[in-house]
Amino acid sequence: MPDATTRMVLETGTVSSDTRISIKNLDFYYGATHALKSVSIDFPDRRATAMIGPSGCGKSTLLRVLNRMYDLYPGQRAEGEVLLDGENIIAANLDLNKLRRRVGMVFQKPTPFPKSIYDNVAFGFRLHEKLSRAESDERVEWSLTRAALWDEVKDRLSSSALGLSGGQQQRLCIARTIAVRPQVILLDEPTSALDPISTLKVEELIDELKRDFTIIIVTHNMQQAARCADRVAFFYLGELVEVGESTQIFTAPHEKRTQEYITGRFG
Amino acid sequence: MSAALDMHSSLAGPDLGPRRRLYSAIGWGLCSFAFLLIAAPLIDIVWVVVSKGLSAFSWTLFTTVTNGTSGGLLNAITGTILLSGGALIIAVPIGVGAGIYLSEYGNNNLGAVIRFLSDVLTGTPSIVLGYFSYITFVITLGWQFSALAGMITLAIMIVPYLARISELALRGVPNTVREATFALGAKDPTVVFKIVLPSAFPGVLTGILLALAISVGETAPLIYTAGWSNFLWNGKFTHEPVGYLTFVIWNFINQPFESAHALAFAAAFLVMLVVLIINVGVRVAIRKRSFA
Repeated sequence: MPDATTRMVLETGTVSSDTRISIKNLDFYYGATHALKSVSIDFPDRRATAMIGPSGCGKSTLLRVLNRMYDLYPGQRAEGEVLLDGENIIAANLDLNKLRRRVGMVFQKPTPFPKSIYDNVAFGFRLHEKLSRAESDERVEWSLTRAALWDEVKDRLSSSALGLSGGQQQRLCIARTIAVRPQVILLDEPTSALDPISTLKVEELIDELKRDFTIIIVTHNMQQAARCADRVAFFYLGELVEVGESTQIFTAPHEKRTQEYITGRFG
Repeated sequence: MSAALDMHSSLAGPDLGPRRRLYSAIGWGLCSFAFLLIAAPLIDIVWVVVSKGLSAFSWTLFTTVTNGTSGGLLNAITGTILLSGGALIIAVPIGVGAGIYLSEYGNNNLGAVIRFLSDVLTGTPSIVLGYFSYITFVITLGWQFSALAGMITLAIMIVPYLARISELALRGVPNTVREATFALGAKDPTVVFKIVLPSAFPGVLTGILLALAISVGETAPLIYTAGWSNFLWNGKFTHEPVGYLTFVIWNFINQPFESAHALAFAAAFLVMLVVLIINVGVRVAIRKRSFA
């Protein structure tokens, strides 16, 4: 009996550390528009997966399914199975606040709140946890350090976050997201509004963060996908064309459409 | 003007000939005429009110109450503060609340109905509102001329302004900020009251200050509801009329006494000053905390 239990724990442990999210036959509709067509894909834990493809291919739509952001808008609906650690997160009765605590998101444009730097970082975890002042201070410092922003802001934590530069604001948003301690971090073109140096910092950050989090990043930038993702998924017209290790996708894609897209023949 | 024109043409390149100069001159002429048309009455009003108001100005205005058609304005000043302040206390929760509803949830039929009714209310002549309140509060409810009747009437008048300006201010907050808040696992009230409303604060404050300016300057809704009193307000919300500045302007200017005219201009000067200060305050508020 102990053996069986141990084996079960080990097995489930193995499953959850291998595949964090497993999507099976996902269809997504904006009203009558069929935006995702029977997409099946797995996202491994503690690795970065990049979703690439031309505008309107469905990659951002898929990202917004993973934290149910589409729920904010009537007329948008998903059908199929999206398993996060085995639980179907597109089920109607799911607690969205708990889901979004587990699946954080960073947006294309920095979204600082009109509050102090400290309160921005603390905003998310205060929604879910009651921490003492000391614990809260510690969490804020940990998050800002992980987001590679601590040294730049440690002396002005109480000043407004709106006074930070665009790149700093984006790293602040990443700090705010990881402060909640999610399992999965979704990034929706996180560097498209940033200058090259800030972009580099965010990319280094992503590389660092994938040790602890499942990273899923939507990007238009092929070099970025190659630089910071372990796996790459290519979407076209609402379909998943191909998914595989980055090196394989960029050097020896199986599909002709992937080949054409990454060599810049369309998109 | 011609110097400015020459400079402009030298910057823009070669002179394109007399025809173009002629059109330019006609354009400038029409604009100047239009400006004068608008500005002249305004300047005249300001000039008359300031000159006559200043000559009637003395510190006893602030220390004594009105005695018939002479004396001071203390009763009217405190009455205006009371009525406008009370109107804001009643109207701000309703108006800003309506603005929040319209901006965050109002893309439906109910929202459209509320917007339509709000526009109708904005267009209703204030004297009609005054008459409505007279029938409702003063007569039917038996409050007589009273502070509460005046406050409620002013509140009804400013609610649609508050709703519309708040809605616009809240809609100005980028949707990604809302999404980012939801993405952290926040519920609706948190998103609205902790993030969206503070982000829109300068705009909402602008609406509140403009509503205050409107209520300070209103006369018609109060004539039927607040009445008039020579005495300081005694703390009763009903069955007790109160004085206010715009009554002095409206009524005293028609009295055949020099002292009454002086008080009317002093009151007009005060009202104009307050409205000016509020408008400057609005600009400062906008500049200080605009959303990045």
